[in-house]
Amino acid sequence: MTRYLILEDGTVFKGDAVGAATTSTGELVITNNIGGFEHVITDQTYNDQIIVFMSPMISNQSLNRDDYESITPSCKGAIFNSVPYQQITSTASNSIDTFLRKRRIPGITNVNVQRLARHIKEYGAMKASIMDTDDEHAIDQIRALVIPRDRVKTVSTKQPYPNPNVGFKIVVIDLGLKFSILRQLSIRKCDSIILPYNTTAEDILELAPDAVLYTSGPGSPLEISDTIETCRQIEGKVPIMGIGLGHLVVSLANGAQVSQLSVGHHGSNIPTLEIATENIEFSNHNHNYTVELTKQARTNFFITYRCVVDNSIEGLRHRFDPTMTVQFQPESAPGTHDALYIFDEFIEMINSFWQGKQL
Amino acid sequence: MCKEIVDGKTMKRTLTRITYEIIEKNKGKQDLILVGIRTRGAYLAQRIQTRLRQLEDYEVPAFSLDVTNFRDDVQEKNGQQLEFTADDINNKNVVLVDDVLYTGRTIRAALDAIMSIGRPEKISLAVLVDRGHRELPIRADYVGKNIPTSHQEVIKVAVAEVDDGDSISIVNSEV
Repeated sequence: MTRYLILEDGTVFKGDAVGAATTSTGELVITNNIGGFEHVITDQTYNDQIIVFMSPMISNQSLNRDDYESITPSCKGAIFNSVPYQQITSTASNSIDTFLRKRRIPGITNVNVQRLARHIKEYGAMKASIMDTDDEHAIDQIRALVIPRDRVKTVSTKQPYPNPNVGFKIVVIDLGLKFSILRQLSIRKCDSIILPYNTTAEDILELAPDAVLYTSGPGSPLEISDTIETCRQIEGKVPIMGIGLGHLVVSLANGAQVSQLSVGHHGSNIPTLEIATENIEFSNHNHNYTVELTKQARTNFFITYRCVVDNSIEGLRHRFDPTMTVQFQPESAPGTHDALYIFDEFIEMINSFWQGKQL
Repeated sequence: MCKEIVDGKTMKRTLTRITYEIIEKNKGKQDLILVGIRTRGAYLAQRIQTRLRQLEDYEVPAFSLDVTNFRDDVQEKNGQQLEFTADDINNKNVVLVDDVLYTGRTIRAALDAIMSIGRPEKISLAVLVDRGHRELPIRADYVGKNIPTSHQEVIKVAVAEVDDGDSISIVNSEV
């Protein structure tokens, strides 16, 4: 069945239906991930977005059910260059079509994604709609749609829950976490407690955590000013790590500013420079915003990572407090395992902070 | 029997982390100087100096120090003269760098060497490996790795500048 991707400016892309037979509208986002479809589609950072996969073919094998990053993915659609015929016709529960159907995510395959990507690069990020018909009425609907502003609230956990283990007690502030972050903490035997995004500083410190981790998540950090204020209150009292949106939250709490990138980083193999050693690592990026250091923030932070492509800041470390942040996704998922050691660095930071307290 | 316990990649990462901690504890003041204890410690100090230059864009002086003349177990004083003068260290924040912290006697000698010519504001100690068995009341401020050992074992730190590459290995002299 033919299905249409209708852009805000009226451009129409035609393709074949895959996944749920619903219509949906969201912001288009282009990802250069070659593999790891399971990770990407279940990543809550893509909340309310339509994901365009630039890879020539997606999923020529069935999905790996060990690689999901959330239980209920909340993206608005998936656009493919091509999906193998077997994956569309198969009724197996881990075929791409069944996966999308069950989660009520519509998709379109056989779309000219190169032309689509070029179009977005030329005219800027825009909203789009996945529809079964192509009429004038559709464009009015897209224009009328206001992109929701409380994405973190939608994806963050409503109830606190534990992920017990035997090591350091880590409070994970869920801004839309990927399970891989918890997996990496579990590998390092961290006893994690996952809390909603709007937990107060008092409640966090009440749990006597060894460290606090702000996870990645969707949308703009300016929408969650309470979380930023909380971060300001707990900083210095416990070690803090920020990933993705968490990096922006911690930076804002220290007086930095954020701005939107002209071309967002979405891909699993973006080169990142570690400034201390001048090593280049390939890491998974997924962000539209970037930090700009103001004078105040510059006295608080020094830069530890930069993106090689556009020189944007990718990692910061606090000069006085045990606080470290990275804009990219060290847990990879999908992508290379180059940056996994950042979790080890986090554990070492916790270690030296509490040892220093004892002396 | 020789067993590698830390590979080159982890060793580089550990040095990077020590550098971050030095910046963190220094509270933004620009009065650091690095003193590396020969042989391996001197190279480690140079590496920390490089990392500080990349991160902070300012040159921290790094000196190497031969402690032979100040040791309590060596009679002949045929070590090298001190590289730095009183002006270099007076009222400065000195970070001593060594590869392995064991009995603490080398560090004691290094402290004597520094104190013999000047009066720094503060001396702190960064070591790659703390293996325990102290014989003097000395502790490190920045520790790369705590490796509990027995007296029979030897910790061997290799650095690429003089050895076949970066590694930390544990050698059991009894076997």
